[in-house]
Amino acid sequence: MKYGDRLIKMQGIIVHISDGGVAMDLKGRLGHLTVPMRMLITDYDLKVGQEVEFNMSFPEVMSGEVNQKYVSNIEKNKRGGK
Amino acid sequence: MSITIETAKEHAMDHAVSCCRFEAGTIIEPSNLEDPAIFFDLEESGLLKFDENTLTIGEVLGAKLIKTAEALTPLTADMFEGLNLQTEAVKEEVKEEIVGTPTAATETVAPASMTTSLNGGMLKIHIGEGKNINLEIPMFAAQGSVAAAAPTAKIVEVQETAATTETEIKELPAKKLRTLTKKHYKIENVVFGDETKIEGTTLTLRKDIAPEAVESQELVTAMTVEIITPAEYDTYSETIMDVQPIATKEDDNFLGTGNTRVIDGVIVMVTGVDEDGVQIGEFGSSEGILSENIMWDRPGAPDKGDIFIKTTVTIKAGTNMERPGPLAAHTASDFITQEIRNVLKKMDESLVVETEELVQFRRPGKKKVVIIKEIMGQGAMHDNIILPTEPAGIMGGKPNVDLGNLPIVLSPLEVLDGGVHALTCIGPASKECTRHYYREPLVIEAMNDPEIDLCAVIFIGSPQVNSEKFYVSERLGMTVEALDVEGAIVTTEGFGNNHIDFASHIEQIGMRGMKVVGMSFSAVQGALVVGNKYMELMVDNNKSEEGIENEVLSCNTLCKEDALRALGMLKSAMGGSEVKGPERKWNPNVKETNLEAVETHMGSNIDRVLNETSIPMSEKRESKLKTK
Repeated sequence: MKYGDRLIKMQGIIVHISDGGVAMDLKGRLGHLTVPMRMLITDYDLKVGQEVEFNMSFPEVMSGEVNQKYVSNIEKNKRGGK
Repeated sequence: MSITIETAKEHAMDHAVSCCRFEAGTIIEPSNLEDPAIFFDLEESGLLKFDENTLTIGEVLGAKLIKTAEALTPLTADMFEGLNLQTEAVKEEVKEEIVGTPTAATETVAPASMTTSLNGGMLKIHIGEGKNINLEIPMFAAQGSVAAAAPTAKIVEVQETAATTETEIKELPAKKLRTLTKKHYKIENVVFGDETKIEGTTLTLRKDIAPEAVESQELVTAMTVEIITPAEYDTYSETIMDVQPIATKEDDNFLGTGNTRVIDGVIVMVTGVDEDGVQIGEFGSSEGILSENIMWDRPGAPDKGDIFIKTTVTIKAGTNMERPGPLAAHTASDFITQEIRNVLKKMDESLVVETEELVQFRRPGKKKVVIIKEIMGQGAMHDNIILPTEPAGIMGGKPNVDLGNLPIVLSPLEVLDGGVHALTCIGPASKECTRHYYREPLVIEAMNDPEIDLCAVIFIGSPQVNSEKFYVSERLGMTVEALDVEGAIVTTEGFGNNHIDFASHIEQIGMRGMKVVGMSFSAVQGALVVGNKYMELMVDNNKSEEGIENEVLSCNTLCKEDALRALGMLKSAMGGSEVKGPERKWNPNVKETNLEAVETHMGSNIDRVLNETSIPMSEKRESKLKTK
């Protein structure tokens, strides 16, 4: 990674909670993130509308190549798993 | 940033560096020294450079500067008078690797304190100012005051007493608590037929079984059952949710005692999607070709050569992330396993190929040890069914989430008899599948280790919210306190917020004066998010080359080699040995060095397990590694 250590503080809002994971919108219309419960740290019972913050860098594209395996998985998912 | 007296004591063997500018004539105290914790960063940025002349903190304390030292100067002998140089000889010994030498109690002696500790007890010397003063005190007197004044020396004494007591009561016989007999039936073929039956080494599975399994669960809308033989390992599969043994209790035998019948050569593999095609517990896909996604022969994975009875369960759209969804997929699959269990119960004894007797001993007089296994308890697939009626079953068991994730004591034999049915979380490489608990290497090794007295295996769930984590963790502390153990090993699967309670469990045990070893996948990607001063005995379960979650099932789970390292480390620590500080960055060589130390102690070789480089590489793994 070329820019892995350029940490930027991000904030977001919890928009959906399921038993398995939490979805959050990043403030400033900067995207959306869903993580498993295990990857979220909280001192409070989770509620939609709570704000979160974390440091992140920019995702960097690893290479110009596509990975055919992932492409086929994505296409399969688009077809509803068929 | 200066340091405290406590930090100076802990880091007596680390390099001494001035934290600010100090004039000649200063007598060095902890407050004049820089914190060794930040040396790594300073060295990396080139601000600090050590050589063999750099003194240690233990050597410079109390000495007088004869030259002015600038800030961040590594202190050397030519800058001082009155140095404490007698520690030199023992310094090396303390830094020795200690794993596997449980009797090496002498390593705890901290000679650095000897010159300063003479003022404890009877003898008090205070010299306001002076030069060339030589004090000669008879050795027996000095030894007396050292023992009284230096707590480390005291510990050695106690340990020696303990060791003597141990030899005296060593004759106490091990107490046999209970036995579990596993009768193995070999199956070499699995086919579909009109009814479920076992004839010889052929298992026939009723071909119309799936619709009934579907009907048994409201949330399940469809299900396919496939038989995967080794010839079909190269086929596509949805994400592997779980790998389970097929075993059943004889008659009315309770789990963990009596007789268990188990099928060798066949496992049940659970996979699933929801009606929209989304994988159950979906967080990015890890589906693909089976042979590229399985680390064979791990405790929780299929063995190479096993036949899989693979279910693909479809659950109602949108339920893949809610608690009932994954449970329904597991329960529907267990419907099939139960039908096999029922025929296994009726099988003829003459077909048993191997009878294995597992015995749980208590070993009075040996050091009492408890194993704590932290399991996921955040909900949905982060859940486990505790103590089902049948080995690795569902019925009769209770989800640890419903049990409030509180500590629950299982006997080692209950664990090894399928007492935990894992709904298995995300992270294929580090999750502990149901089969893992059935073959849990740490429980097996600890139970059979004649040098320790394994008293229990405690399972504790990992809740979501921090306050709940600390609630269960404090209960664990009290439980372990009541057990009055000398040592504990805490394990956890995967990484994430479960590392917060993992750290807290270790703290709760460590603060009660017990030695505690922590085991987790950490390496690069699973680096711990929190820590405390009791987390010094740590074992990393990583096996992957890059230290990452490599999406290969069970690759980074606890194996026999890790169990032996942890037990060696715990026994060494309980014997009074010290452990080396961690390296700043993950270094796989530490593991190898420790394994070699354990081998030397055991006098036998430990087989190292293979990692992902031994299986065909999927394109996605290749691309992942390419960027490293």
